[in-house]
Amino acid sequence: MASPTEIDRHDTDILIIGTGGAGLFAALHAQQSAPPGTRITIAVKGLIGKCGCTRMVQGGYNVALGGGDTVERHFMDTIRGGKWLPNQDMAWKLCEQAVVRIRELENEVGCFFDRNPDGSLHQKAFAGQTADRTVHKGDLTGIEIISRLMEQVLSRPVEKLQEHRAIGLIPTADKSALAGVLFIDMRTGRFRLVRAKTVMMATGGGPTMYKYNTPSGDKTMDGLAMALRAGLELRDMEMVQFHPTGLLAGDHTRMTGTVLEEGLRGAGGQLLNGAQNRFMFDYDPKGERATRDVVSRGIYSEMRKNNTSENGGVFISMAHLGPDNVRAKFPGMVKRCADSGFDLAAGLVEVVPTAHYFMGGVVVDADTRTALEGLYVAGEDAGGAHGSNRLGGNGVANSTVYGGVAGDTMGADIRKMGALRDPCPTTLQAEVDRALHPLTRKPDLVQPLRHALQEAMWEDVGVLRTETGLTRAQTRVADISDALMEVGVASDNLAFNLTWHDWLNLRSLCDISQAIALAGLERENSRGAHYREDFPDEGDLDASYFTVVTQTGGDLAVRRDPVDFSIVRPGETILPDGEPETLVAAQ
Amino acid sequence: MTAAQETLDVTVHRGTTRGARYDSFQVPAHASQTVLDVVSWIQQFADPTLSYRFACRVGMCGSCAMMVNGTPRWTCRTHIKKVAPDGKLLIEPLRNLPVIKDLAADMDPFFDKWTAAEAQHHPSQTRHDPIEPIDPTDATRAEADLGVECINCAICYAACDTVAGNPDYLGPAALQRAWTLLNDSRDDGRQSILDAVSGTGGCHNCHSMGSCAQYCPNDLNPMRAIAGLKRETAKSFFKGKRNA
Repeated sequence: MASPTEIDRHDTDILIIGTGGAGLFAALHAQQSAPPGTRITIAVKGLIGKCGCTRMVQGGYNVALGGGDTVERHFMDTIRGGKWLPNQDMAWKLCEQAVVRIRELENEVGCFFDRNPDGSLHQKAFAGQTADRTVHKGDLTGIEIISRLMEQVLSRPVEKLQEHRAIGLIPTADKSALAGVLFIDMRTGRFRLVRAKTVMMATGGGPTMYKYNTPSGDKTMDGLAMALRAGLELRDMEMVQFHPTGLLAGDHTRMTGTVLEEGLRGAGGQLLNGAQNRFMFDYDPKGERATRDVVSRGIYSEMRKNNTSENGGVFISMAHLGPDNVRAKFPGMVKRCADSGFDLAAGLVEVVPTAHYFMGGVVVDADTRTALEGLYVAGEDAGGAHGSNRLGGNGVANSTVYGGVAGDTMGADIRKMGALRDPCPTTLQAEVDRALHPLTRKPDLVQPLRHALQEAMWEDVGVLRTETGLTRAQTRVADISDALMEVGVASDNLAFNLTWHDWLNLRSLCDISQAIALAGLERENSRGAHYREDFPDEGDLDASYFTVVTQTGGDLAVRRDPVDFSIVRPGETILPDGEPETLVAAQ
Repeated sequence: MTAAQETLDVTVHRGTTRGARYDSFQVPAHASQTVLDVVSWIQQFADPTLSYRFACRVGMCGSCAMMVNGTPRWTCRTHIKKVAPDGKLLIEPLRNLPVIKDLAADMDPFFDKWTAAEAQHHPSQTRHDPIEPIDPTDATRAEADLGVECINCAICYAACDTVAGNPDYLGPAALQRAWTLLNDSRDDGRQSILDAVSGTGGCHNCHSMGSCAQYCPNDLNPMRAIAGLKRETAKSFFKGKRNA
């Protein structure tokens, strides 16, 4: 067993964990707002700007830029989309600051977004929006945003710790503040404790405990698992957004679960069951063009009737729109499917609902501060802005807005902070021991347990939920979690040892899976992404509550907190009288 | 690979220095299977110590690029049928970069050169200014658009024989980004970019062999961009002489 003396120690002033939209913006803003000479360090589980999900954004960036659209309208869409559960102050700041952030992205960071013929920014409407609001760069918006942010950060004097996996938030001995973060330097396998006056955590959530999931492979809920152990409150943990059309190609391929874009259905793509019949009109009058949650439930219901394709999903069919037309309109998707061996333009491609985004996260205020002094959280790790459902286009707006806010807040707060804090030796040793645990057990395969967890969550905490299923899931996850503690990893070479990290990934996923199941049981109604077959109604909107999960010792607890309608109450609007319900032209 | 073939013969680079060792594995074959799936199977079921890198799984991040039967490729988007009709695979870390371990290359030199090429936006406006109207059909904008979908995967860098022969050469990706910026009317760093790309490791090292364009998985053409830089740096040089 390693003792803390075998831990490399490193000090900085501002530490940022994660290099998606939130992490990179936090680095830029911290540099602009902190006093000269402040040391800034950015640490990431993979390579800077390459891991995480901002890069994978296809659709675009929601921002009200006039033409009739307003911040108020964006806000109302966000609140209604979130089914009245969002933290309204956070949702407001998201919509308001998106206007500044998009100008910053274009003018300072150097992103170039698609233009109208007159040279102005092109904006389109996603489902659930009442204005053409989504700024984009083709259907590869995330690549443009992250590549440009990455090159800005690379060219600045920011210290980089790549392939550094955060494994524990280490508070002071009296637990009053955060002292630093324990990492594993993945390339060497050594522990590294980084002390900092302020830490911004943006590891990016990612519901990869489901059999089908879209996030990048590095995302395994490490941030939320660390926050839970540090005693922080997690809200909206039952809220897992499923995208209806993930590619389905078998259990053995990492292609399975990856997103086939929303636009395919919007353009007239049809969903067919195993007998190659359309079925979505059995579930909703809008058919395939219904919202993500409705289509996901329709597909899942059809799958439960065993009306499935070879691999247990359904088909998406585009050929009736003319294969050449499909190739011209969706070149990226057609090429990706072709590389994977499927003909999207002329054939049938198997699809399945896939876990896409996690609305839940750490309870923060609108300045990204948490209950633990020195810790700030932004992006998908933070809960509240989206409530029970995230609108397409609000994800990257959220991460870039609040990453920047975190950088500004840390730059201001650090002026009031004195010396670096001393880490609690007991917590530090406990986190080291926790990570070393598998090295003390007989080596065995990790992947079968990951698979078992993904089956359990998909079947019992998935698209459609019941008390029976959620309760069963708690037992199944506990059994998998126990089994994991008996699976070992050989300790002879820990350098770039992915199997050790697979074990740690699964540890985080098991912990957060229990929190999701518990919150799912607590919410006895159906809102947004959370659907209870035994409580199908949305419940009393005026009495809306959000769930809060905490961990004390090893035990999870859940409670309901009332939503504070600080800006607008259910049934009301902040739009002026006489404003049209939607500005989007009927299709 | 025939339908009847049940396993793939896979040889994998091991160790922390290039060419240190090779291990062979028999990997179960499937109808839908990428090179990344093969590498993952080896690590998950045959040798838990195999090191490699991947993230997005869909050709957007460029983390998983490796040499596959001698050719640089995104392993996540390379179907086995395309590269191993005989069921044989040789997988190695990306060429022209240091090896960290097994299949994971150290990409720092690639990104250091990105920065050295001044390949980041030089702002002429701030967040307090309106977004500039730009005609999307304008010729310089169209030129900039040609290279903008680069995901910095370093496939072109690995394919480039000039990089192989001259470790100081900035390489196709960084130079293409510099060319994109030079054609971006909003960029205020024209002279610093021209200075950066005309130095000893700059664009004039390119012999127009075209491997970058041949292997780019996004069908971009860095060689064309580099030719543009050569013209612009030459013009700038002569203009400088006239003004001297």
